[in-house]
Amino acid sequence: MGVTAKPMSVEKVAIEGACPECGARALRRYPVLSAGGWFQAVKCQDCLASVERTPWNRLGYVDRSHVDVALAAYKGPGK
Amino acid sequence: MSGKIIAVDVGGTFTDVVAVEDGRITTAKVATQPASSDRSVLAGARALGVSDASIFNLASTAGLNAVLTRRLPKVGFLITEGHRDVLDRGSLVRPLEAITDPTWRRNFGDAGGRPVVPRYLRRGVHERLTPRGEVFIPLDEAQAREQIEVLKRCNVQGVAICLLHAHRNDVHEQRLRELVREILGDIPVSISSETSALVREFHRASTTVMDVLMKNIYGDYTRRLQDGLDEVGFTGRFNYADCSANLLPSDYAMQRPYQLLMGGPAGGAVSAAHFGGVIGDDNLLCADVGGTSTDISVIVDGTPWSSSTFEVEHDLMVSATSINIVTLGAGGGSLVMATPAGDIATGPDSAGAEPGPACYGDGGTRPAVTDAALCIGILTPGGFLGGKKRLHPDLALKAFESLDTPLPLTQRIRHGWNMAVNNIAEGLLNISIGRGIDPRDFSLVACGAAGPMILPCLLGQFPIRRVIVPPYPGLFSALGLISTDRVYSDHRGRYMVLTPESAPILDEMYAAMEKRLLNTVGGDQPGLRVVRTFDARFLGQSWETPLIEAPSGRIDAAAIQAMIDSFRATYEKLNANRFDNLPVEAVTYRVQVILPAAKVTYPTAEPGARPEPVGETVLRHIYDEPTLAFEYERGALGVGAAIAGPAVIREEMSTTFVPAGRRATVGAHREIIVE
Repeated sequence: MGVTAKPMSVEKVAIEGACPECGARALRRYPVLSAGGWFQAVKCQDCLASVERTPWNRLGYVDRSHVDVALAAYKGPGK
Repeated sequence: MSGKIIAVDVGGTFTDVVAVEDGRITTAKVATQPASSDRSVLAGARALGVSDASIFNLASTAGLNAVLTRRLPKVGFLITEGHRDVLDRGSLVRPLEAITDPTWRRNFGDAGGRPVVPRYLRRGVHERLTPRGEVFIPLDEAQAREQIEVLKRCNVQGVAICLLHAHRNDVHEQRLRELVREILGDIPVSISSETSALVREFHRASTTVMDVLMKNIYGDYTRRLQDGLDEVGFTGRFNYADCSANLLPSDYAMQRPYQLLMGGPAGGAVSAAHFGGVIGDDNLLCADVGGTSTDISVIVDGTPWSSSTFEVEHDLMVSATSINIVTLGAGGGSLVMATPAGDIATGPDSAGAEPGPACYGDGGTRPAVTDAALCIGILTPGGFLGGKKRLHPDLALKAFESLDTPLPLTQRIRHGWNMAVNNIAEGLLNISIGRGIDPRDFSLVACGAAGPMILPCLLGQFPIRRVIVPPYPGLFSALGLISTDRVYSDHRGRYMVLTPESAPILDEMYAAMEKRLLNTVGGDQPGLRVVRTFDARFLGQSWETPLIEAPSGRIDAAAIQAMIDSFRATYEKLNANRFDNLPVEAVTYRVQVILPAAKVTYPTAEPGARPEPVGETVLRHIYDEPTLAFEYERGALGVGAAIAGPAVIREEMSTTFVPAGRRATVGAHREIIVE
């Protein structure tokens, strides 16, 4: 199976506590990409209020090993 | 003029109040309480005896301040599914300072900005109309209820509803409002098809959001004011001023309160236009210099320059007919600062109402333009605000001495003063040249408490015909609220190429708006006028030329041709080309029903004797040597009086400075003309 054929999924980690906006006990932490880059966000899954946002990896899920693999596979500009 | 009329203009620093009764003008000025400006309004109104007034006109900044400071109620926003980020999208234009700043974010956005509606409170509703207004996807009421339930759990205080193409068909918006009322109860709801039934989704959405915010803010504000007025026995008519300083009865204004957002600054422009008509000068630049800022407007051929939209801040658009006001961060309270390089800069930060300039003695330690005027000798310690506020020269000097700069004291004061003058001159130049106006053909009306003190210094630096200081310059903006009419307005939006075939649709649209407005005012009344305008463009353009005159009566093929001719003539006047072969596309259609209101009069005064000085002051720091200047009392100057500068002319609420080499004369209506 090629890399792009893998099913994409985001692990949402349950967080204790109630949403300060709507009161639902449905807080989850997961990475989001929005204006300003990648963030680890704690969001209410009921009303979608963003309770907490902290800057995350600059390239999100792409880490150094991905870059190395890509560089190794790079064969220079095609003719 | 029948009965007493009271007008109140709330500024950032002071609240100005004027009363006119039998042609006699009385005035008051009270400090603005920024957190509860209704108290300042009531205090000012009581000071001039509102209990026996028949009309009470108010230009309020409560809504504008709430938006700028984001002290806003929590409101929800319902929009067609997939479009909830329309508020983030804004327009293509970025402000100049943002072009090279990669971290810049739109204020309306959720990431790094200060959104007036956070993203989680913007909910998509499953429905869709076509651009012609046909139902393409019926409203999914079950899904809509789920979204409204979320808003309920979040305790929103109001809901704005703006669906795609709803200006052509309001059926889904009306039903959604019913659902909101059913689930959330009797909270303010604004729907775009009633609030701003115009083309362009972003402008319509932004205006609808502003409207529901203002319904919350002005709902409570109006109740508090009305209660306060009832307490003192006021039984007359309470009007608000809108963005064009037109008067709207308070209950009518509450139907579309977004129109009140910029009610304050327009007063100066309307007042200048009215006074210009009295003295026969129709081409004016008006600079209203207050404590915090300078509001500049342009009057051409007796009419203030207006547009069909305005920005509260970048990309916070409101579609409302409004007088174009450009605000500069330069006023009497503008702070004089030492830059990191040690030179002097003035503004845009202001000492505000609290603590105010250092010379107020209310705890301010940083020097302001008013401190400079006191150190120079234009102001005197006992003459400020009619003697009600004692100024402290020692504190003003100490504030200038505290600046972190190697410059000597004299240069600190002189540069601080000159920078304030230069800031206004630069702003005036940008505004006039940018709009294709040659300022040499225009007179500058100096109003606001600090205008007559600062603006005559522009002569020689800025190519203007002359500076006119009208009577009551410190309260001129408030007088604008007694220089205007009561206006009821409506508008519709629809893209339509102007051809004979479009006549029946336009005729029906204008007739329906007129009928509704005439019903609102209770039919024909003495002096009633109906004015039709439209915004249009050449087919293919992406922007409109606003507020073109449209013919009255039945719209037929001849009327359509008149509209096309009117558009081409206006376009040619503004852009020097009329493109006779291009079709014209109309976009927005407006009707105003105008009811004349009582206006302030400026009676002709009598010629006076040769002006006699009442004192003298030594002007320091501003010229190379200390220079003696005579002081005059404005009230004692008759028509034709001529005064050579340097001189200072004092009155209760303002001070006029005549610089060296300039000459002031008193005109027929007691205006001071500095040339």
